[in-house]
Amino acid sequence: MNTKKAIVVKGLKKYFKKVKAVDGISFEVKYGELFALLGQNGAGKSTTIRVLTNLAVPTDGYIEVAGYDLLKDPTNVRRNIGLVAEKVILYNDLTAMENIKFFSRLYGIKDSISEERAKEFLKLFDIWTFKDMLISKMSTGMRQKVNLARALVPDPKIIFLDEPTLGLDPVSTKHIRDFIVGLREEGRTIVYTTHVLHDVELMNVDEVAIMSEGKIISKGTLKEIKKHFKKAEIVEMETDETLAKDKIKGKILIQEGGYLKVEVEDIGEFLRDVAKLNIQIRSFKTLEPSLEDVYVELSEGSDNNVEKGMRNTLNEEVK
Amino acid sequence: MRLWDIAWKDLKTFLRGRTRVVFSILMPIILMIMLGFIFPKAGGSYGGSIGVYSKDLIFNSKVEKSLSNTAASKMIFYNSRQDLINALASGKIVIGAIIPKDFSLSVALNRSVAMDVIPSPANPQAGIMMSQMLVGVFGSEGTKNTKRNVVKSKLVNADGTAFNYYDFTVPGLMAMIAIMSVMTGLASSITRERELGTLDGIMVTPISRGSIVIGKILAQSIRGIATAMVILVVSWLFFGVKFTGTSLLWTIFLLLLSTFSFIGVGVMFTAAMKDQETAMISMTTITFPMMFFSGVFFPIQQMPKIMQYIAYIFPLTYAADALRKVITLNVGWNFIWMDVVVLICFTVVTSAIATVSFQKLTQD
Repeated sequence: MNTKKAIVVKGLKKYFKKVKAVDGISFEVKYGELFALLGQNGAGKSTTIRVLTNLAVPTDGYIEVAGYDLLKDPTNVRRNIGLVAEKVILYNDLTAMENIKFFSRLYGIKDSISEERAKEFLKLFDIWTFKDMLISKMSTGMRQKVNLARALVPDPKIIFLDEPTLGLDPVSTKHIRDFIVGLREEGRTIVYTTHVLHDVELMNVDEVAIMSEGKIISKGTLKEIKKHFKKAEIVEMETDETLAKDKIKGKILIQEGGYLKVEVEDIGEFLRDVAKLNIQIRSFKTLEPSLEDVYVELSEGSDNNVEKGMRNTLNEEVK
Repeated sequence: MRLWDIAWKDLKTFLRGRTRVVFSILMPIILMIMLGFIFPKAGGSYGGSIGVYSKDLIFNSKVEKSLSNTAASKMIFYNSRQDLINALASGKIVIGAIIPKDFSLSVALNRSVAMDVIPSPANPQAGIMMSQMLVGVFGSEGTKNTKRNVVKSKLVNADGTAFNYYDFTVPGLMAMIAIMSVMTGLASSITRERELGTLDGIMVTPISRGSIVIGKILAQSIRGIATAMVILVVSWLFFGVKFTGTSLLWTIFLLLLSTFSFIGVGVMFTAAMKDQETAMISMTTITFPMMFFSGVFFPIQQMPKIMQYIAYIFPLTYAADALRKVITLNVGWNFIWMDVVVLICFTVVTSAIATVSFQKLTQD
């Protein structure tokens, strides 16, 4: 009884005594979609994933995963999902292959099949030669790759990835990020949580929901979210000579000689003013606000204390 | 002073776990209260009937006639050694005396004679005390004009080997060690998996929660079997515990049942605990008093009445009782069925509760 939606969440609440970890969120994820759940630590992302994966009981709300009502038919939900959580789900005293076989057996998959599938993933991750190595002897990056293979070998329809790149070095992070994008291209449904906005932008996720204090404060495609919150445009230009500050209608962010980065309310008006100055323009581009800008703005709007150090500086060139 | 910083940190983190603190306070209270009350006041009472199997044909009538009414009323005569052992196993008598063929003649001739006395496996202290009384009764009252110390008693096991107190403690210890090893295994198995996150990994698969619990129980039971085997070998090699084919099978079966009977409780406790330390403390709070309450070291019959009732809450009480009967008296089903039924009930009920409550206890 599959529906077109991979996940349907309506009014999900999860309270821990007085703490409202998740407070009435609703969203849908289509099959084949890469859906990102963004939010700072404690926003309620992981709790949402725990509820959706049947690891926590919701206080209230309707949840449908893979076409099955989570509360009425949890076994069928679990049959169709895979989880990569913050903690690596592997036994340190078992080898990579033993771990993969064990978890696959719980899905009713024969060893011969799981071995074949594991081979495919481990080769893709370039760790096939370490298949008989104990997990305790592996590096963090290797463990996470085995962990991903462990979750994917049972071939789940929907994969929940809860901060899978947490604590990984940049190279391993890139490998895993690229792998996730590849999974989406294969048509798998992926729910990905992170607070690393850079990853989300690089992966070009299909849809984003931003969580704060247990609520979804914004959702849509990356572009929709950025557009919706775009109050000003950022212009970066280089000219032959330094422009007089009083001639520029906008908030100057950086001005170093002929280089100018300015935030303007109306780009048309700004261009007309620049044209009147009759100066030589070497380069001109507008910068879209990054997801980080949106995220910080939204979070600050909901009185959250976002760590500024978390900011990345990726901007998308549109012109 | 950095060492104080270490100590301060350890204590502070310990105090942050509410359940851990509660169990840490409860454990000594429970232990002290239990240990303070299980021992009888003024040495306890040693009542109960005395079983006698006499190979001396003229002994019975002679003794019956000359014994005082009080002493005679406490005596039950049996026609065979096995009947006497069966009576001990069923708890009808607290001591069984075996009168040798030439007893009357030896006493009449003032010749030294020894009777074998088998104490009850459930209450050897009473047996030891009453064997002394029997010497007096049979030596002075039973026959006239005998020299003192002509009649001697020899405390023996059912198989005729010399009895020592270790024969009383070994069966209970076997059950206790098997249970303890499984309990510590459970604490690490469930709570550790929860801490590591692997329990989430299992619970997110289609396997039923019941299968997870039963799987855990199975693993711990296999551990229990291995531990039981080690205990059997050590008991046989170092403590002279002897097994016949039947008693060995019964012993293995009972050791297994003992571990099964407590696993359900263990699953419930460890699943409810968030970390390994709390799980271990809570397990110790249960298992440690259980050792003293269940008659492993001290006979239940010697405890005050109220403590005896409490003793029958613990499955170890039944396990130790059945194992004692099997090992020391070499008896079977007819004498241990009640213990077995109770242990099976414990197993079924606690495992069912554990299976049902596992999901609630492990889900947030």
